[in-house]
Amino acid sequence: MMSDDETYRVRMTGVCKRYGPIQTLDDVSLNLKPGEVLGLVGDNGAGKSTLSKVLSGAVIPDSGTIEIDGKVVSFSSPADARAARVEMVYQDLSLCDTVDVAGNLFLGREPRSRVLGIPFLDNKRMHDETREMLDRLGIVIADTRLKVENLSGGQRQSIAIGRAASFDPSVLIMDEPTAALAVAEVEAVLDLIRAVSARGVSVILITHRLQDLFLVCDRIQVMYEGRNVAERKIGDTSIEEIVNLIVGRKFVARSARASRGEAAQP
Amino acid sequence: MNVASSPGDIGASPPKRAHNSTWKDVAIANGSVVSIALFFIVVCVVFSLITNSFLTTPNLLNIVRQSAPLLIVAAAMTFVITTSGIDLSVGSVLALTATLSAVLLQAGLPWPLVVIAMLALGAAVGALQGFFIAYERIPAFIVTLAGLSVIRGVALLITGGYSIPVEPTSFFVNIGRAWFLGVPVPALLALVVLVIAYLAFNQTPFGRYVTGIGANAEAVRRAGVDTRFIMLFVYILSGMAASVAGIILAARLGSGSSNAGQGFELDVIAAVVLGGTSLFGGRGTILGTVLGALTVAVIGNGLILAHMSPFLTPIVTGTIILVAIWLNFRLFKGATRSR
Repeated sequence: MMSDDETYRVRMTGVCKRYGPIQTLDDVSLNLKPGEVLGLVGDNGAGKSTLSKVLSGAVIPDSGTIEIDGKVVSFSSPADARAARVEMVYQDLSLCDTVDVAGNLFLGREPRSRVLGIPFLDNKRMHDETREMLDRLGIVIADTRLKVENLSGGQRQSIAIGRAASFDPSVLIMDEPTAALAVAEVEAVLDLIRAVSARGVSVILITHRLQDLFLVCDRIQVMYEGRNVAERKIGDTSIEEIVNLIVGRKFVARSARASRGEAAQP
Repeated sequence: MNVASSPGDIGASPPKRAHNSTWKDVAIANGSVVSIALFFIVVCVVFSLITNSFLTTPNLLNIVRQSAPLLIVAAAMTFVITTSGIDLSVGSVLALTATLSAVLLQAGLPWPLVVIAMLALGAAVGALQGFFIAYERIPAFIVTLAGLSVIRGVALLITGGYSIPVEPTSFFVNIGRAWFLGVPVPALLALVVLVIAYLAFNQTPFGRYVTGIGANAEAVRRAGVDTRFIMLFVYILSGMAASVAGIILAARLGSGSSNAGQGFELDVIAAVVLGGTSLFGGRGTILGTVLGALTVAVIGNGLILAHMSPFLTPIVTGTIILVAIWLNFRLFKGATRSR
């Protein structure tokens, strides 16, 4: 048995973040093993997105420590998190509308060719590799030179996911990755999560589609008003228990009854 | 690179939805450049027909010589506006560098040193304004409006309102007056700046981030780019471009006046906007800016050659700005889904 430090890909402890009078995160912890898929759930405003942005370097916490593979890290910008191979699909997708598909996929790590020491964009390589990535992920986009503003919501979301998944991440955070997707596309994203976690990538999945969690997650962590309230192994819980934990009281949700009608009696 | 197996098809849509682009699609996608190109051609044809002297080599060379400062600063301003910023201080920086270079030459400083000092001054002014905009998050309009006032005031204070002559025998005046290979030196300087600006805007990561910041600054930041430095740097570029323009102007006129470049910033912004760069950021084109600046210059020149009142120039320029942008909105819309 390895020591505790080595078995965790991510250990966040005592993370606090305050925006004005609102304590968005209050002493939150999060642990993640290599190859594990963690579902992070909670009501709107529970702090899921803020917690994941702390891990991706987009939000700097007031206190708390982050360890990646046993080493304490301090992310002062998203560039630091990227260097530690933490990638995130943001809820708002974080795409530049007036930049083309290849430009968005490679944003911040464009292949360069130096002429007289000046870095120029290696456009041919960028478009060729983009084509390969899109094909590998099964994303259908006719032309990698199309500007992102001309794409459909599903295609835009696919690009955001492809960007995070394609550059050899060790931790992949997905904040509502399936919000704009059709049924078949949601299945493809769930397949993608299974495929990357089988390769050892740790995944944090934030979603309101609770049934998806039960298809791909190993564990579910529930947040309520900026705090951790529960953690359940997927085999030890049920959708109605998760619903009750999310809303913070005993509650018979119709959505829960619809999927497991016989168990939902109070 | 490492997603070895991921079946399914994300973002599935029926294939062949996008057809191969025709020249018409290309024209619509680049609508802003096409519309200003049409205006440029129309203006040139009109002046060629109503005057005999417009379409002559000396006159055309004269136009590019006189418009060199506008072209140089407009190229830099394209970067600033594409980040959804604005730099109102370029006219004042031009006046300050024009007067200071005359003052320093009078004090006996060798001309190469004067040029370097002025470039450094322009960069420093740009860096100071850029610091307040990028790091302190004060709106660019306010910072550079303050800059416009303060920098012009410094130039007036130094000269007491008088213009300072430059010794005509100094090599310095060649920057504005000499010809090289049959082309005026200011025009050559402008050409060099424009080529560099075009390459930087379209072919470098820096240009890509400038466009990205205008479209979605937070997305570029989350992609690990130091967006604040990029924003600071575009104001260094506009400051330096304004100082080059000031040097050229002082050399051409043989004097440095603290009243030079009154309203210059508005001509520059007009040229950039006329060229199709969006004031909201995210969309910019150096080619359009060149056409926009040349259109402004040709109108001024042509009206004088046609023996019409030079006071018509601002009226015609302003009308064309409105009509060109209107055409761009009406005729060429449909290139994008929204907006």
